[in-house]
Amino acid sequence: MQVPAGAIVGILGPNGSGKTTLLKLLAGVLRPDSGTIHLDDHDLRSMPRSALATRLAMVPQETHPAFDYTVLEMVLMGRYAHLGAFELEGPNDLRVARECMEATGTSLLEDRYFHTLSGGEKQRVAIASALAQATDLMLLDEPSSSLDLRYQLEVADLLQRLNRQRGATLVLSTHDLNFAASICDSLLLIREGSVLASGPPRDVLTSDHIRALYGVEADVQEHPRAGHLTVVPIRPAGDSDESPPRWVH
Amino acid sequence: MGALTRAEALVGAVPPVRRRMTAAALSFGILAVAACALAPLVGSTPIDVRRAWDPSIAFSDNVDAQIFFVARLPRVLSAALVGSSLAAAGVVFQALLRNPLATPFTLGVSAGAALGAMLAITLGVTFAIGPLGTVPLASFVGSLAAVCIVYLLATARHRGFSTNVMLLAGVTLNAFFSALILFLQYFADATQTMRTVRWLMGDLDVASYGPILAALPLIAIAIVTFAWLARALNLLVLGPEQAEARGIDVLRAQRIAFVSASLATGAAVSVGGPIGFVGIVVPHLVRLLVGSDHRVLLPSASLFGGTFLIACDLVSRTVMAPLELPVGIVTAVIGGPFFLWLLISRGAGGSGQ
Amino acid sequence: MAADLARGGRIGTVRDRVAIVAAIVAVIVAASIAAAAPPAKRIVSLVPAVTEMLFAVGAGPQVVGVSSFDREPPEVARLPRVGALLDPDLESILALKPDLVVVYGSQDELKTQLERAGAPMFSYRHAGLQGIFETLRQVGDHTGRVEAANALIDRIRADLASIRKAVAGQPRPRVLLVFGRDVDALRNVWVSGGVGFIHEVLEIAGGDNVMADVTREGLQINVEQILARKPDVILELRADARADAEREALQTWRTLSALNAVRNRRVYFLSGSELVTPGPRIARAAERIARVLQPR
Repeated sequence: MQVPAGAIVGILGPNGSGKTTLLKLLAGVLRPDSGTIHLDDHDLRSMPRSALATRLAMVPQETHPAFDYTVLEMVLMGRYAHLGAFELEGPNDLRVARECMEATGTSLLEDRYFHTLSGGEKQRVAIASALAQATDLMLLDEPSSSLDLRYQLEVADLLQRLNRQRGATLVLSTHDLNFAASICDSLLLIREGSVLASGPPRDVLTSDHIRALYGVEADVQEHPRAGHLTVVPIRPAGDSDESPPRWVH
Repeated sequence: MGALTRAEALVGAVPPVRRRMTAAALSFGILAVAACALAPLVGSTPIDVRRAWDPSIAFSDNVDAQIFFVARLPRVLSAALVGSSLAAAGVVFQALLRNPLATPFTLGVSAGAALGAMLAITLGVTFAIGPLGTVPLASFVGSLAAVCIVYLLATARHRGFSTNVMLLAGVTLNAFFSALILFLQYFADATQTMRTVRWLMGDLDVASYGPILAALPLIAIAIVTFAWLARALNLLVLGPEQAEARGIDVLRAQRIAFVSASLATGAAVSVGGPIGFVGIVVPHLVRLLVGSDHRVLLPSASLFGGTFLIACDLVSRTVMAPLELPVGIVTAVIGGPFFLWLLISRGAGGSGQ
Repeated sequence: MAADLARGGRIGTVRDRVAIVAAIVAVIVAASIAAAAPPAKRIVSLVPAVTEMLFAVGAGPQVVGVSSFDREPPEVARLPRVGALLDPDLESILALKPDLVVVYGSQDELKTQLERAGAPMFSYRHAGLQGIFETLRQVGDHTGRVEAANALIDRIRADLASIRKAVAGQPRPRVLLVFGRDVDALRNVWVSGGVGFIHEVLEIAGGDNVMADVTREGLQINVEQILARKPDVILELRADARADAEREALQTWRTLSALNAVRNRRVYFLSGSELVTPGPRIARAAERIARVLQPR
């Protein structure tokens, strides 16, 4: 698997296919049993954690702190990777944190406690915190899954802006095909831990691949208004057009 | 926000943590110093403080001085030491286990200490190293044994350091050691049983500076370690993977947190016995006041823990004079209802989980 | 009436006749009561103090089992052990086929079990000096050694009285009675309050208990209280002690150099089971304490 600099790569697959595991491997949080992972020609395993944290940041699917922090505290935690052992955050760190909050539309939440936020707000704060790490590479695990429609669009927009304006390389895992199609430059389809297909969306998002991956008959079309491929599931694969739907109670 | 204020906010603004650390250190620090200075002036017996400090009277003739410097001052200082280390250890364990109900005694340290103390009392052996008497030494060895067992179990199978295994090991060790203690009690005579039960209730009447000085280096090292760990603890609270992703060597941080907090607890228990509630009430109370950033929380909780225990010990040695109400009972009477209130208010939809 | 008889007078009035009949009836009733409770022949004692009493009144041969903590008199060494306050062994007690089991008043479970097994019990209540005499009396009754018991009581009373007389008029030092303490430290110090046999013995032996105002038999005391009470004598009592206990006591108490007791080196360490047992050797304990308190 190759992730070119400045690209947005999407990892697609059904639940349990290994998307999150792959992401964690890329983040260096998990160690591979075999093979190696390189970041800019450096073996991930050889890099100390603190150095790695200045090169890549990860946004998990959900954040559940055991104790409550304010949004500003959480975003500032992204700056720890840049601080010395006993060093405290300085004005520069605060500036970066506030910029990241502005970029994610969370500025007004600065003094709110994390537990009081909605799912979408929490997700955006998590992204802001990862942004504050000021890395070239960001890994996101299911960034749209806990968001409602409007926030999905906003996060998609945000990620694209980050990619274009800051040149950030993004790798995200998702099971939302449309979301992936809307922003990714290239896609990786994973089934049961191995790669089914990889490449630009128009090559990878095909009815055959979707049938193979999800067992679903689907239509894939370029949507004129949306400006990207859209996937519409029709029915489970293996059922004919005429037979009535059978449900098991 | 207007454009000007936003610019002001962005340029030259200092993150709140430095200010809050200073404010917390000052306010809790002043409180702690006041407690240390005032507590020895109060007691079950009226004394003439000026006479106590009068250098012209020989110390060996000066009853007031002996009450002040032998009876009261060591108690106040050991309360400060024990209270601060138990409170700080409580904060660290709560972050390490990501659980607001964690206490310094959750992982079996105090059960090991109690077993050690009980063995010393029941077997009647005596051995002393410098200023350390038999019971404090035995209890510290007991707590070390418990720490080693839990540590080995937690690091046994995985490459990592499983906090779940650690928690299970600690709880099991607590139960097992408690059973051993009951077993020993069964064969002890009445006086030994009475003395062990009394030790379990906590006693800060050290009557000399030796135990304090002996425990001080270990606790000082632990507190410096906590200061170094503070940022890591902030991140550990988010979860080990998130901490890892932000640059913390989670394995190393967890190990260091566990060992330092356990040693601080063991040292504290060897001085005053297993005094409960300090390690859970003080962290929560201080967290309500200063938030969960460990760089502010740890020093605040330490200072307030010392103050709290000084106050409890004051109650313990005056409220039922000439009898003494064991300090562990005082902390339980104050801490228990507070903790219930905390659980209820948080459970009813407060800002907690 | 007896005087009338003695003078050779005649038993005349009805009142006199009724009185004689009543007296005869009373004697018969008393005799039957005494006869209804025959002296115990197989006694198991869980209470060391009572074991000593049993031997002291001459009922030693009737004792068939003792507690695990019994050590006096030396004859008990060959007797089987049946447990103690916390761990009485019902099986071994019943295996000895006792017709009297001496138990602690607080051993409720054991008492229920013995009741069910039909074993007669003597429930020992721990009280002060009077309690010792009362228990001795009851021991006498249960073993049929009433005279021996009374004689023993009288002897102890006499010994205590003579000690009391010997110290009368002497200055009475203020005494701190310590019966438990951590070794090498002034921690976990347990002292006698103003209640209990050892406190009463101290009073007889010529000392004033500094903690007499506390109505408890034993209490833990802190250093401030020790200094506040200003004892002239510190008296440590133990059942048994190490060889260097006296030296250790002096060394440890030296921390409180402002105390009269320490300054005048009046810190005493006495060991011996008679000092801690509310039993027949209580007068010996009083004598030992008196010797230490009052330079004769």
